[in-house]
Amino acid sequence: MKPLIEFAGVSFSYGDRQVLWDLDAAIFEKQCVAVVGPNGSGKTTLLRLAAGTLTPACGDVYLKARTLRSLKQREIARSVAFVPQNVEIPFSFTVEQFVEQGRTPFLKLFGGLQASDCEAMRRAMELTDTWALRSRIFNELSGGERQRAKIALGLAQQPQLLLLDEPMQNLDIGRQFETIDLIELLRGEGIAVIASMHDLALIEGTFSSVWLMSQDELMRQGTPEEMLRPEVLERAFHCPTRHRHRLREQTQIYESRR
Amino acid sequence: MAVEVTETHTGFVYGRARDRRQRWLLAILSVAVAVAVLVASGLGAVHLPVSQVARSMMGGGALSADQRVILFTIRLPRIVAALLVGSALSVSGLLFQGLFRNPLADPYVIGSSGGAVLGASLGVFLLPAVSLAGFGATALLAFAGALGSITLVYWLANVDGRTPVVALLLAGFAVSAMLSYSSYFLEVLDRNFGMGMRVLTSWLHGTIAQPTWTQLGIVAGMLAIGLAGSMPLARNLNTLALGEEYATHLGLSVQRIRISAIAIGSILTAAAVALGGLIGFAGLIVPHILRMALGPDHVRLLPATALAGALFLLVADTAARTAIAPAELPVGVLTAFIGGPFFLYLLRKTKHEAML
Repeated sequence: MKPLIEFAGVSFSYGDRQVLWDLDAAIFEKQCVAVVGPNGSGKTTLLRLAAGTLTPACGDVYLKARTLRSLKQREIARSVAFVPQNVEIPFSFTVEQFVEQGRTPFLKLFGGLQASDCEAMRRAMELTDTWALRSRIFNELSGGERQRAKIALGLAQQPQLLLLDEPMQNLDIGRQFETIDLIELLRGEGIAVIASMHDLALIEGTFSSVWLMSQDELMRQGTPEEMLRPEVLERAFHCPTRHRHRLREQTQIYESRR
Repeated sequence: MAVEVTETHTGFVYGRARDRRQRWLLAILSVAVAVAVLVASGLGAVHLPVSQVARSMMGGGALSADQRVILFTIRLPRIVAALLVGSALSVSGLLFQGLFRNPLADPYVIGSSGGAVLGASLGVFLLPAVSLAGFGATALLAFAGALGSITLVYWLANVDGRTPVVALLLAGFAVSAMLSYSSYFLEVLDRNFGMGMRVLTSWLHGTIAQPTWTQLGIVAGMLAIGLAGSMPLARNLNTLALGEEYATHLGLSVQRIRISAIAIGSILTAAAVALGGLIGFAGLIVPHILRMALGPDHVRLLPATALAGALFLLVADTAARTAIAPAELPVGVLTAFIGGPFFLYLLRKTKHEAML
């Protein structure tokens, strides 16, 4: 089976600050990957490379065996949707107008939305339970509603792979569970997901693999049970030894499965 | 703002309600423009009855020869000029607001008008040949000036793809002041005091002078180019509102959109300045009021902005030339009276929305 997205020997640096070295990884259809690592370890960079908005310094990113360099961004955006952490809109767009932007890669220069565009938007809003919010102003939504509207925009792109940048940030525990349910639902729809995650306890059950990033080592991959061990995390996150017991509490869920 | 939303599962009711609202608004605005043109044709030192003006425009002959001269060589050119200037200013305001992702952008505030005035004055003062070449050359130089200043302001105010209000206003103010005063400096260099200086003064005050039909034709052409270019751009500006990175991800060429918006906005600014000089805030007020009625979708806003801008400036200019008759107020003074406080109110409101 061909991977949806494959990183082959990818390195990337911002100026002289190198964030990714020789990264090899792949995600296949219907897979759910959690990207875990300390701040500044390159989680968002990895997502941007997969979305084609950053281009690797060395190596290549492949979308279904075609290198992203050879594809137009419009084509990439029809297969891969990137849902950013924060969206700031200076105007009061309704949720419907916001989600409509997800159809941009499909629209021609002249001529507006077609029936297929409306259908895709409707489907996206129904899946994310934002159909009832469609006439609300995006900027006035609560954190949880906003998160769902952002995912709806991504789904309006009808992607095979959804990239979620810290989807749980600023959400209360109830909304975090809602987001987890939504990711499960998307997996059922046949959409693969890569999400950068901080809350390790939420990975259990939903994500099939963990990509563990660290500032001074190559990325490690494995199942949640393999990766979310106190001794592994302690190294990756540079946790002070006196807090080791807290890490153990965080990863207890995985203990029983090993 | 209450917008009727009826529950149905067949489509986007909200969008349709807005479409209906847009069509109504366009119809009302068209009628209002027509009425305003008739009324404004009648007003002035010599009163012309509206019914006869209407008949005369249809080709009838109800007016005397003198009255016809007043109507066709004095009043109507001025009215058409106000319509063109208002439309051009409002649409360029809308484009700049989308480009800067900032509802406070206006061709006057961000220095684009100032650049156009400087460009046009350079022509009038330093290159007598240009004055001979006529109005087309002036408009071209105004375009070059607008293009130069807006590029400078964009470059100065842009921080990582965002233009914070403070940065935009400061850069716009500085560039605008520099350009306007450079135009004053040209006064000193002017050897044959008189003609050039009078032109410059009316530009800096924002007076719609008495245009010829040829001049109106040139400006109408520029406006047509500007409007035609804005149409495919409007949808892109909606997407750009999400931010440059997001827009890039969705497959837009942000660089191309930026260049198009700057070029088209400058054509429109130059069109307005060539006829009316520095008229502030029209590009700010008109799109803002329409946004309250139609929402922020640039595609829906564009035609309504073109019409409402024309109406707004015709009313303002008619008021400016009749309010204290026989003296005449520059229309720029009037729009500053209305627009200044409005701008401050918007600034205050934006501050609350944490745009700074």
